[in-house]
Amino acid sequence: MENTYLTKKDVIKLNKDTYIVTFENIKFELGQFIMIETKNLVRKPFILGTWNNHPAISVQIKGKGTEYIVKTQNNIKAHFPLGKKFIPPSGKGMVIISPTCITLANLITKEYNCDVLVGSKTPLEYKIPFEFATGDVEFANKVEKLKKYDWYLISGSKAMENFVLSKIESNNIYVSLEEYMGCGIGACKSCAVFTKNGVKHICTDGPIFRRDEL
Amino acid sequence: MNLNPPLIIASGPGGNGEYLKLINPEYIGAYTLKTVTLNPKKGNLPPRMRDKEHFVINSIGLENPGINHFIENIEKYKLNVKTILSLGGDTKEEYIKIAEIIDPYAQYFEAIEFNFSCPNVKKGGLSIISDKDEWEEILKKVRKILPNTFLIAKLSIEGNFVETSSQIVAKHNWEGITLINCVRGLIIENGKVITGGISGPILKPISLRAIYETRKKLKDIYIIASGGIYTEKDADEFLEIGANAISIGSALFKDPNVVEKIGKYLKGVKK
Repeated sequence: MENTYLTKKDVIKLNKDTYIVTFENIKFELGQFIMIETKNLVRKPFILGTWNNHPAISVQIKGKGTEYIVKTQNNIKAHFPLGKKFIPPSGKGMVIISPTCITLANLITKEYNCDVLVGSKTPLEYKIPFEFATGDVEFANKVEKLKKYDWYLISGSKAMENFVLSKIESNNIYVSLEEYMGCGIGACKSCAVFTKNGVKHICTDGPIFRRDEL
Repeated sequence: MNLNPPLIIASGPGGNGEYLKLINPEYIGAYTLKTVTLNPKKGNLPPRMRDKEHFVINSIGLENPGINHFIENIEKYKLNVKTILSLGGDTKEEYIKIAEIIDPYAQYFEAIEFNFSCPNVKKGGLSIISDKDEWEEILKKVRKILPNTFLIAKLSIEGNFVETSSQIVAKHNWEGITLINCVRGLIIENGKVITGGISGPILKPISLRAIYETRKKLKDIYIIASGGIYTEKDADEFLEIGANAISIGSALFKDPNVVEKIGKYLKGVKK
């Protein structure tokens, strides 16, 4: 695990409030995340992926902390890589995500056979190589018309995840969970999730969980 | 306790040694483990933490595997720095029972801190000191069970004047006190009330006052300062006001290097 400065490479505006931020030199595995410093007191977690062949995260500006990550010209401090590696089952997969997980989806398509559907609340301002839907209605229509896949990974807001989960059936559904984190390394216990197998922590047991465990 | 540097990782935010992957142990005087209770606790339902300008609010609820599991796995809790064990309970009987259970293992630890001030549990924690007679009985009996252990009471500013509570601790010949634990707080997020314990820089003046008042009354007790220590200057102020050591918690979340920086400073410049 490293605790060091990240050098920002590019910032790409994806939609009204979400940006892809690419970095140089981050070693990680699929499914892992990073805790990045903010102007506030607590570092914030972002799932790692790639964009334009560089390590990348996708940041939705929600407040001063996320705004700082997107806009600062300075190097940003962070500790990484965190969480467990994700290995999907065999067969063809479907990755259904919000724009905040687009770099994760991009990385999965490079390593595994899968399709991607991105659901964005606001119009995309940047061309992406994936199928996308704008707004809840278009997204719902596309989810309902999905063909059958061998496995699914869902990653987005809780509302979005719950909607998708109500529409698909499979023994191989994975969900990337989000919860407020203090440390990202299993120390503070702030990111608890109550599962069928007892209390788990998103930072050390996840962030990607099997749906049937939840 | 003789700690060099006089810097302690606080119970709670520091987990059970996880930050040793990010901080050079040379700059940590002692590491306090997460509070262990008699019975396992699942902790509170989310949300468990938020941060705002100048403070963090948490409601973890003492999630821990219980003392029996802790003892069965005690090797895992032996760190490469001096270690302070933190114990808690829901009732007087639980505090006494846990002291009896840990007695054969007390030698493994530099000190044992009893948490009399967790703001995030329904029973025990902060409420345990509201019955003065019962609390005094705990202090008296635990002292008797662990006669050779450096005993620390972790106190809050709530429930009593902190200097009065500290005097009670000293009366029962406990060696140390940690001042202060989180203070109960509340935020409103999207119309929803979130309660928890407040930590972070906002606590610093409150903690400074608690230590100042306590040191006036008690010249010899070992005081561990806790509450909003983020810089070398913060550490200086707490030590000048009468603390013997400083304890760092939520600053870990901002940058683990904060600890290393303060530790280096205390080990060198302040030696």
